[in-house]
Amino acid sequence: MSIQSTILRVGRKTLLADVVTTPFLLRTHSLHKTATSGSLRVAAEHSGADDLVPPAIEVGDVQKGTRVKSLKEMPGPSAFGNLIEFFYRDGFSRIHEIQMEHSQKYGKIFKSRFGPQLVVSIAGRDLLAQVLRAEGVAPQRANMESWKEYRDISGRSTGLISAEGDDWLKMRSVLRQLIMRPRDVAAFSDDVSAVVVDLVKRIKVLRSQQADRHTVLNINDMYFKYAMEGISTILYESRLGCLEDSIPKTSQEYITALNLMFSSFKTTMYAGAIPKWLRPVIPSPGGKFCSSWDGLFKFSQMHVDKKLADIRAKMVRGEAVQGGLLTHMLVTMEMNKEEITANMTEMLLAGVDTTSFTLSWATYLLARHPHVQQQIFEEVTQTLGGRMPTANDVPNLPLIRGLVKETLRLFPVLPGNGRITQDDLIVGGYFLPKGTQLALCHFSTSMSEENFPGADDFRPDRWIRKDQSDRVDNFGSIPFGYGIRSCIGRRIAELEMHLALTQILQNFRIEVSPETEDIKAKTHGLLCPGAPIDLKFVDRV
Amino acid sequence: MSFVSASKRLLTLTVSQSSAFCRCVTAKISSRSPLACVQTQALRRGICSSQVTQPLRSENKVTVNFVNRDGEKITVKANPGDTLLDVVIDQDLDFDGFGACEGTLACSTCHLVFDEEVFKQLGPITDEEMDMLDLAYGLTDTSRLGCQICLTKALDGMTARVPESVADIRQSDGSA
Repeated sequence: MSIQSTILRVGRKTLLADVVTTPFLLRTHSLHKTATSGSLRVAAEHSGADDLVPPAIEVGDVQKGTRVKSLKEMPGPSAFGNLIEFFYRDGFSRIHEIQMEHSQKYGKIFKSRFGPQLVVSIAGRDLLAQVLRAEGVAPQRANMESWKEYRDISGRSTGLISAEGDDWLKMRSVLRQLIMRPRDVAAFSDDVSAVVVDLVKRIKVLRSQQADRHTVLNINDMYFKYAMEGISTILYESRLGCLEDSIPKTSQEYITALNLMFSSFKTTMYAGAIPKWLRPVIPSPGGKFCSSWDGLFKFSQMHVDKKLADIRAKMVRGEAVQGGLLTHMLVTMEMNKEEITANMTEMLLAGVDTTSFTLSWATYLLARHPHVQQQIFEEVTQTLGGRMPTANDVPNLPLIRGLVKETLRLFPVLPGNGRITQDDLIVGGYFLPKGTQLALCHFSTSMSEENFPGADDFRPDRWIRKDQSDRVDNFGSIPFGYGIRSCIGRRIAELEMHLALTQILQNFRIEVSPETEDIKAKTHGLLCPGAPIDLKFVDRV
Repeated sequence: MSFVSASKRLLTLTVSQSSAFCRCVTAKISSRSPLACVQTQALRRGICSSQVTQPLRSENKVTVNFVNRDGEKITVKANPGDTLLDVVIDQDLDFDGFGACEGTLACSTCHLVFDEEVFKQLGPITDEEMDMLDLAYGLTDTSRLGCQICLTKALDGMTARVPESVADIRQSDGSA
């Protein structure tokens, strides 16, 4: 609905105020079907170690007659133990493992201290469901101070990841109407498919550079460029050339800024644990962080300015204005230009690594499980023959959907998420006062035997429904989150992954290379491969 | 609860926006401006509230019964083509927390339960809806998401029950 209201405001909004009379044509469906990024999710996940208090938690809502326990009674590692774990033993890169250890030791709800911050971890499926279902209209994620700090310093707007409260709700209301409905996102199918075709070509180029003519080194690097190309096509309505042999300079600069951003991510997490009064003594990693933000913003700014100039020029010439997501946003101005730029920046940022890590894991898992790969290949062949897939084919490729779900269950890009409770809650028998910082332990629940029998096994078919009434109880694995603050780029990410994996399977048999070792995950803000993954792509046919 | 008032605020906002749109569309149509093609598409999509753009006689309307969480029956007239979520919003029905994600398939708060015969007539269900239903509270075999059900004349007289929410249970326990 808001899109429509938007379209109409086109006629009167400031941007165009003086040119209302010029012919003005918007591709309404593409507007409606506008789109964006991967996954607006950011880790805020802390837990700790040591100390023995027996687990005491039963799942579920409050039972009548049961005494409600206080936070003091909640088990959890000691503050000192946690300090050692995270700062001395580099717990930040093992957050997902620590989360598992602690949930096994302390139960489905436990508390940890992370510097000055008390965090209550929710590691049970049903407790997680309870917390997420109790959410209000503008759930607050967590302490994003390091992100906010930059905006304060630079005077830039916050975007969906960094904003909270009314600011967040306003932007979310606009953006979700553009890029969240599956049928709207399906309109990008052809654009994304064209990028996938380039990815397939890129695989062929890369493998030809190796002695065996089959191996692609560090596949994540390639998927990173695919994801960046895909998301930019949707966000900026323009191709960046990331999959070309030589990447244009501005795109390369952006990639460098993005890498810098992620390399300083961990240090900003440390910084969050340092009390403000210690800042003069222990410097914050702000410098590097800010300069990478500058680089990212500069890139969005350039695209936004260019698009705006295009639109204005067209209107001056009296030509019709047609376009996709960015055009729509600039014409309707439901958000101001700063807000548009900030959201473009954050959505691009959120839509690259998330998608590329998942594609890396998915192809790695397929290579390690040739039987599963064969099964999915057969489904693809039976359904499509040799035809290129579109969004409309995905419902007929349940194993491709299962592959993405199962990959994200085993390697949830965001192993945990954060919430600050906005009401007093009773969870698992404990009273949590309003304002409590929660860590939602998605990794623990998705790897729990109780939620997923044979949890260590890679079984995409566990997600296949026998029929429409077959329910797959899956609160244990909600890689995109749930509800009003869930990943806004979910459907775009799914489309990018479904189409890429299908075409890759149609073209190649994926095999492990002799150099491929058993790759472990590590947390670096997001859950990512702990070492470069090299795979062989052997031609089918 | 802040949730209630906030969600109300949101709903009101949506409704007022859509009606503003329709007013404007009408104005533009009468002036035969070049905006016509925008309007045509919007109208074809049936997103506008119809009383302004395409007055429907009452016999074209579909009667829908809702049973709220207190067991009270609410009967409303709605336009074919609207979703059940549209109906709840347009008629300003007060179901706490209903339709939080505004029909974008990111939550399951517009969960409704139907009689078996009605359920069979509701049309196809997508994978995305099934995935969201998996996460619905108090799921039944005849559950659907209201935002995915489009009204047709054939559904005239149907009943949709709003299932209990987590909040109701908390309140009845007196614990929150």
